[in-house]
Parts: sequence; structure tokens; C-alpha cells
Amino acid sequence: MRPFLAAPVTSVVMGLLFSLPSLAIADELPGDSVYQVAASLTAQDGRSLTWQDLRGRPVVVSMFYSNCHLMCPLIIASGKELQQQLSTGDRDALELAVLSIDPVRDTPAALQEVADAHRLDPHWHLLRPRDSDVRTLAAVLDIRYRAQPDGTFNHTSALILLDRDGRVLARSEVTGLKPDPGFVAQVKRYLAASP
Amino acid sequence: MLGLVLLATSPPAAPAATYVEIAGGAFRSTIRYEGNDGNSAVANFALMQHAVSNREFQAFVMQHPQWRRDRVPALFADSGYLSHWQAADAPDPLDADAPAIHVSWFAADAYCKAQQARLPDWAEWEYVAAADPLRRDARDDPTRRSRLFADGTPHAVDAGRDAPGNAYGIHGLHGASWEWVGDFSTLLGDSDKRGGDDGDRLQFCGATGLSFNNRDDYAVLKRVALLSAMQPRSTLGNLGFRCARSRP
Repeated sequence: MRPFLAAPVTSVVMGLLFSLPSLAIADELPGDSVYQVAASLTAQDGRSLTWQDLRGRPVVVSMFYSNCHLMCPLIIASGKELQQQLSTGDRDALELAVLSIDPVRDTPAALQEVADAHRLDPHWHLLRPRDSDVRTLAAVLDIRYRAQPDGTFNHTSALILLDRDGRVLARSEVTGLKPDPGFVAQVKRYLAASP
Repeated sequence: MLGLVLLATSPPAAPAATYVEIAGGAFRSTIRYEGNDGNSAVANFALMQHAVSNREFQAFVMQHPQWRRDRVPALFADSGYLSHWQAADAPDPLDADAPAIHVSWFAADAYCKAQQARLPDWAEWEYVAAADPLRRDARDDPTRRSRLFADGTPHAVDAGRDAPGNAYGIHGLHGASWEWVGDFSTLLGDSDKRGGDDGDRLQFCGATGLSFNNRDDYAVLKRVALLSAMQPRSTLGNLGFRCARSRP
């Protein structure tokens, strides 16, 4: 019987959607938004969310894996330093999302350890994608990674500024403990322009 | 009765594609990365016997209309995407059995996911493509090597409809179109990031450079050069794909 029940429910929902055209248009995702990718994620606290749930607020995003001792601490240090250079108001307006390229080992517990070790504030979201979504997410963010025979990964390390709708506004390669000043300026400019 | 109703309301589907079981093994890749000499072990997997065809891709587009050329987000495909189709949902009058082309990596990735599959990795593709109809590794044969120069053109060894399968029973790997692989973006780092200062090592977490173990393997050199120049939203009139499945 289930298939027969589903149709009327669907048509009611569709009817509701079509009766609110203005809302639907305002809500339409830009064609170049990275949130066009449908992906489910798990955060360090075990909470499930979708990639699109990040929409609505400015986000600085990166990709890493927790069992990484060279670049990944630099990614986090750069993000924290970026926060330090913002006013209190701007700091509260900005989310930081780091997606794992190693979802097999980066369980929520492993990600929580990273968050604790670096004393990350609640604006940080360490996110575990499903295995099959890692490449797709990396592709829209232009992050290149390769698993090595010894279990480590080579990967590009970048901080990427997304606007509220998931369009890439700025990007900088992480090369040390401090973020690129030009990137910081772009973050500040965007936050100032969209209070 | 219920079954009949469900059948009648299901969207049109292409016949299920044939996947060939590939026994893995030790393999010396023609390419190598810093920190990896090119010797690798390819695990067992399954690979589509033929590249995804126009008919199969049309069925996918009808079931997932967000992948129609008039609806696909710009993030996922450039303006060439399916541009050779007569209509947004119909490749007619193209040969239904010919490989689907003008397809971006994102579209190929989505297609394979929809079949509970994935794009093959480069290493898997290279492993199976080393074969000719008689040998699983025919790469040392200079005659064959020179014939593979025509890969990606209508004169390619596997371009003809009656071209024999290779020693694994896989068809068309050296055909008129090239094929996407899942990890194509790792085949070369961006050249502008590999200028040689210390920052480069950091940017790619310690290693980047790709080099070649065998500079006589033209087919692979050419293929790597092509794929590494692509963006995941790029499309080409001679670039298609096929899917793979992992095996436990």
C-alpha cells in the first residue's frame, strides 16, 4: 500500500511549494554554489547534518585528516589566527568548517580529540563526509589529495572563504602558522559588507 | 498486481551494464610520485565491460533531470555538456551504443554513484588498459605502443565496433574517446604550485611531483597530459567514462 499513500502526500507538499513562489525564488541556490553537492556529514559531537546546512552564514572551509602532523596543525593554526585578527562581532559571524579526507579513521571521536587538543571554539565544525562523497566535495573546493602507501595523504592545504550561499569568494594556500594577510583582508571586507 | 503497477510507473531504464571481475595483482605503473616508486598492488575490483553509452546516459538524465544540460548547475558542467544532443533529454540521432561524451567529471561521478558504483582510480584503469587481446601486460610490445598513439581518435585500436575485448574481456579502453578516472585531479599538481621553493613541499603536504617510469609508454603519457589539464566541470567531444565497483 505504501506507494499509493506516498503520491497524495507528495502532491500536497508540491502544492505548498508552488503556492509560495516568492519564497522558492529567494531560496534558490546559485548555480556556482558549492552547496549544489548533496552530502551528509557527521560533526565532531556526533551530530548529523548536511553540507547545505552550512548555508546562511559566511564559512571558511578547508580539508584535512586528523592523523597528519605537518600540514593539518597549520591549517587549524591559520584558522585560529584568522579568528584572532577579527573583531569580536566578526568572529561570531564566521563559521569554520574542516572536512576530513580520511573518513574511515576520522570518526567523530577522533575529530573531537582534535577540537579539544586545539581548544577550538563552537564556531569550528570538524566534519566527516561519507567515503563516497569525499572526492566530490574535494572537487568543488579544488582540493587535491592522494592516499600514500604508508597511510598518510598528500593534499593541498587551503583556506577557502564561502559567502552565505556557498560561492567561493577567496582562497589562500596555507604555508605557515599565520593566514595570508590578503585573505584575512578579504574575510574582513566580506563580513563588513554583509552584517 | 502491485508489481505490475510499480513496473508501469517506473521511469525507463537501460538494461543493467555488464561488470567484469578483475583479479588484482602487483603492478608497475608507468607514472610515479615522489615517495612512491610506482610499484603498487591493485585490489580486486569490477569494471564495466564497455564505456557508458549514449542510451545509458540518456536513461540517467531522464531519471535525474537535474543532470539535463538545461538544468545542470554551472558548478558541475561547462557549456559543452551534452551540447551535441539534439534535445536536452535526447541524444538522437546519435548511435545509442556509442560512448557518452561531452560529460563532465561531476556528471560521470554522479552517474556511477547512481549505479552504486564509482569511477575507477587511475591505477585500476592503467592496470586493465595494459592488456591487449592476448596478454594482460602488453606494454613492452613496441608495435602496440605505436598503435596506441591513435588513442582518443577514430583510428584508435579499439574504436571499431567489432574490436576485440582485451585479455580481461574489457572493451574500448583504447578507443576513440578518452575516459575520466576518479582521481584524475591528482595526476599532476598545478604547475603554478610546483615552482620549486620550499612552500611547495608544504602546500602538498610533503610531496607532489609526478614523473614517468617509462617514457616510451606514449599512450599513458598522452592520457595523463590530457586528464591533468582538465577541470572537473570540463567536457570534451572525445572524453567519456565507465564505472567500477570495489570488491571486498
